[in-house]
Amino acid sequence: MKAEPRTILRFLLEYFEIINELYEIQSKDSVITFEALNEIITKHKTDIKQQLIDYKILNSVNDNFEIRTVYYNLIEFILSEFKPMLPETIEKYHVSIAELFRKIKDNIKGDKVILNQRLTDLAGEIRAFYEMVEKNTISLLNETRELKANVKKIDYREKIVRASRWIDEYIIPLNKILDINHSASIANKLYDISEFSNKHRLVCDDENTRVLFEKLYFQMIQVNDNLLRQSKILTTELLPLIERIRTESIILTGWITFLKNPYKQKVPKIFEGKRTNIYSKNTFFNASELFEQFKNDTAVYFEEEINTDEKWIFDKEFFTEKLKSNLPVTDFFKWCNKTLKEEYKKVEIEKFFALTTLAFDEDIQRDFGKKPEFDKIKINDLTLTVPKITITKYGIS
Amino acid sequence: MEFPNHHRQIVEDLMSGKFILPQERTYPVLKDNEQSYTYFFKASFNYDLKITQDFVYLVSDESNETLSRDICIFIAILSYEIDREGKNFMELIQFSEFEVDEIENYFTNSSYIDLILSNKQLKDTDSRKNFINTLNRRNIIEKTSDNRFMFTSAHKFFMDFAVDIVKFENAEQN
Repeated sequence: MKAEPRTILRFLLEYFEIINELYEIQSKDSVITFEALNEIITKHKTDIKQQLIDYKILNSVNDNFEIRTVYYNLIEFILSEFKPMLPETIEKYHVSIAELFRKIKDNIKGDKVILNQRLTDLAGEIRAFYEMVEKNTISLLNETRELKANVKKIDYREKIVRASRWIDEYIIPLNKILDINHSASIANKLYDISEFSNKHRLVCDDENTRVLFEKLYFQMIQVNDNLLRQSKILTTELLPLIERIRTESIILTGWITFLKNPYKQKVPKIFEGKRTNIYSKNTFFNASELFEQFKNDTAVYFEEEINTDEKWIFDKEFFTEKLKSNLPVTDFFKWCNKTLKEEYKKVEIEKFFALTTLAFDEDIQRDFGKKPEFDKIKINDLTLTVPKITITKYGIS
Repeated sequence: MEFPNHHRQIVEDLMSGKFILPQERTYPVLKDNEQSYTYFFKASFNYDLKITQDFVYLVSDESNETLSRDICIFIAILSYEIDREGKNFMELIQFSEFEVDEIENYFTNSSYIDLILSNKQLKDTDSRKNFINTLNRRNIIEKTSDNRFMFTSAHKFFMDFAVDIVKFENAEQN
């Protein structure tokens, strides 16, 4: 059934709410299932399924449906809800535009009808290319702003992934396409077309062709301006914005990870400040030197002195016998000194005094002489002044 | 022997643990004499001099780990709380002035309250005031009045650390 154009447009207007819901489902799921269609129709209590198919708005795919591309694009355009397209999709225009331009250049003096058709087609391709770029920039900006506002409460890690994907897969390649300084870019090709059409709008001998070149030239001026604007949006607005989202999300993810276990993470090294004392620059070092002494305490051991020499005991009996055998002794202290020298080779003061105790023995007969006489005896460094005592008798002997 | 201008101040500032910022008069001197100062600090003290476009600082093996950790906790909580309010934490930290009361508000109402209370330098208002003064001494913030301050470009040192955490984690996962 071929419907009247006005009928279709009126139908679209009247049931736009339902069509919009179908558009959203298809945008999300790529297809409208039989159940989804029925659900929407039941919800709105209006069965327009047959009209949707009759007016060729819906196309049946197996048991499901999809909105035909022309209507889909129309709704998309009206709603300005474009999905970002991969730059590969846009790249196809590079081939078609370059090919048409090459044929125009090669056959500039050929069949005018074909030349004019090619010029019209080229203008159409350029328009389509530009519209696609514009749609893509708008959609990327919308998506980026939405990501920035984070209405959908997307996790930081997911934000990093999305931002990185858009930068690497969409924005940078799209920017390459629009980079006029890049010899292989479409923008560069458009610049060549602009120069070529500028020349031929003046020199071409066929009037129709001249008009077409003229149209093409002015279209090129506008497209080049617009592309430059799109390129600026990409580089000055979109790229920094999305870069910031990415950095922000990375930093926040890092902080959240850190805060999960802040005392187990290695932290960046910051300098341990050195203190300066106001009263003396050396105080710190002096104090530190002082404390350093106590820092490394070494164990100190005291060894008990072991006296290897046997303790000397005065053998009174032995020396009494010696004295008895030497009787009479004219000078007792000299005898003591001499006896010790004989016995030990060296006289020690302790031994000397021990030996002199024999003079106090009760059994000894001492004679001090009529007049006291004194002698000097040297024992090591000590000089003793001793009286002269004569021992004449011991006991009853 | 001739030394560059402001040599004494450069040494004193760096040795006291300060970050030297691009707007300081000592920064261009360091930048112009990067090689000789790097050698000077290495040969004299065995310290590494790091010069970036945002700050200059010294690195030694004796790092003040506690302070570094507390600064990380402070900036991490602040970033998290600002973001939770729906504001752009990076822009605010980079360009805005903060009031001490505002910081108090973020910290007393933070969901990281247990971590805050267990941290000596951040646990209460007085500790946080002292801590802010420490940040000021180190040139990580600049006090604009008694109870207002701005972060300096030295804060990026810690932001870079947060980025490194994610990089390290990703590398580990791969």
